[in-house]
Amino acid sequence: MRNKASIMVILTGAVLINSTYVYAEESFIGWLLDFGRTKEVKPIDNEQYQEECKDCHFAYQPGLLPARSWKKLLNAEALRDHFGDNAEIDVDTLRIIHDYAVVNAADKSYYKRSRKIAVTTPENAAPLRITKLRYIERKHDDIPEKMIKDNKDVKSLSYCDKCHTQAEKGVYDNDTVSIPNYPDWDD
Amino acid sequence: MCPKIKFHNIGFTLCLAAFSASTYADEATLNLKLPTTTYTAPSFSSGTQSFMLALNESKNQSEISTPTRTKFESPFFTGSNAHKYLGLGTLALAIATTIAPKPPEIEDRAATPAEIDAQDSSAHAKFGRATAAMAAATVASGLLSHWDDFHIEDGIFDPDNLHALFGTAGALAIMYAISKAPGEGHAGKGMVGGIAMGVAVKLTW
Repeated sequence: MRNKASIMVILTGAVLINSTYVYAEESFIGWLLDFGRTKEVKPIDNEQYQEECKDCHFAYQPGLLPARSWKKLLNAEALRDHFGDNAEIDVDTLRIIHDYAVVNAADKSYYKRSRKIAVTTPENAAPLRITKLRYIERKHDDIPEKMIKDNKDVKSLSYCDKCHTQAEKGVYDNDTVSIPNYPDWDD
Repeated sequence: MCPKIKFHNIGFTLCLAAFSASTYADEATLNLKLPTTTYTAPSFSSGTQSFMLALNESKNQSEISTPTRTKFESPFFTGSNAHKYLGLGTLALAIATTIAPKPPEIEDRAATPAEIDAQDSSAHAKFGRATAAMAAATVASGLLSHWDDFHIEDGIFDPDNLHALFGTAGALAIMYAISKAPGEGHAGKGMVGGIAMGVAVKLTW
C-alpha cells in the first residue's frame, strides 16, 4: 500500500513539474503523445521545397542541417553560387523554401537523427555540406573509398539516395542501406 | 552514519531527468510557429563563398548513373530489429507483471512452504522473472547492434546516450526488484524500472 502511494506521488510530481514544459512548448506534448516513429529524419512535406531542390539534386531533408546552415545556404546571394552552380530562384519561392528549411532544421526537430546531428554540431559552426557534419562523417568513416568515390554508381557521399534506399522518406538506418555493386556489404 | 537513500527518490530523479533532458535538447529552438513573413537575405562576404565552393565533386547529380538493381528489401531479422522487439516485449511483460494476479502478501508471520510455492509459481512471479530476463537480453542486444551509436563525447543530451542510460538503469532496477521478491517490498523498484525503460524507448522511437 505504501509502495503504491509512493509511486502515485512520484508520477504526480513528475507530471506536474513537466506540465510546465508542456504548457510552454506545444510541440513537446505533440512529440510526447505521438506514437508514430520519429527515430529518423522528418520526411519533406512541402511540395515546393521538394520540387525546387529535386530539379537538380536529391532533396535533402531540412533535418539534416541546423537552421544556421540553412540560413547561410538559402539566400539570394548564396544561391547564385550554390556549390559551383547558379541556383537562383524567385524571391517568393526562396522565402518559402528558406522558411521551411529553417523551421524544420535539425536543431528544431524532435526526430532522433536530427537531434543527433544537432548535438554533434558545435554551436558556433554552420556547416554548409551535410557530408562535412561530424555525425555524418563518423557514421561513414568505416566505408572504404572503393565503395563510394571509386564506385561508378555512387561517386560521393553527397548522393544519399544511391545507397540509402529509403532516403526520400527520411530513413537512413543501416537496415535500408544497399551500396550499388556491393550488395553484400554490412556495417 | 550514512544517509539512507530511498529507491523511489532515485526513480523520481530519473523521471525528471528524462523529461528535462528531452526538453533541454530543443529548449532554445522549439518555436515552431509559422515562418516569418518578412524575409531579409543575409549578406555574404567573399570569404564565406570560397568555403561553399570546396569539394564539389559533380555539379549536377544527374551526371551520376542510376544503378540498375533489383528492388531492395530490408532484411527481416537484424540486430536492430531484435533489439526493438525485445524492448517492446520487456514493456509488455512489465505491464503483464503489474496486472497479473498474485497470492496475498504475508506480513505478520513466516510464510509456509506451500505459500512460498504458491508465490513462486504465481503468474505475477513468472511474468516478473520473464521481464527481468528480457530486459537483460534487450540491453545485451542493444550493446551489440548499436555499439557505434552512443559516444560519451556527445554528452548526456545525445538521444542514444540517454536511451542507453535509461534502458540499462531500468533493466537493473527490474532485476533488483526481482531479487527482493517475494517478501520485501519490490513493487516500487519494479515500476521505476519499467518507467525508465519506457522513457528509453520513447527517446529513440
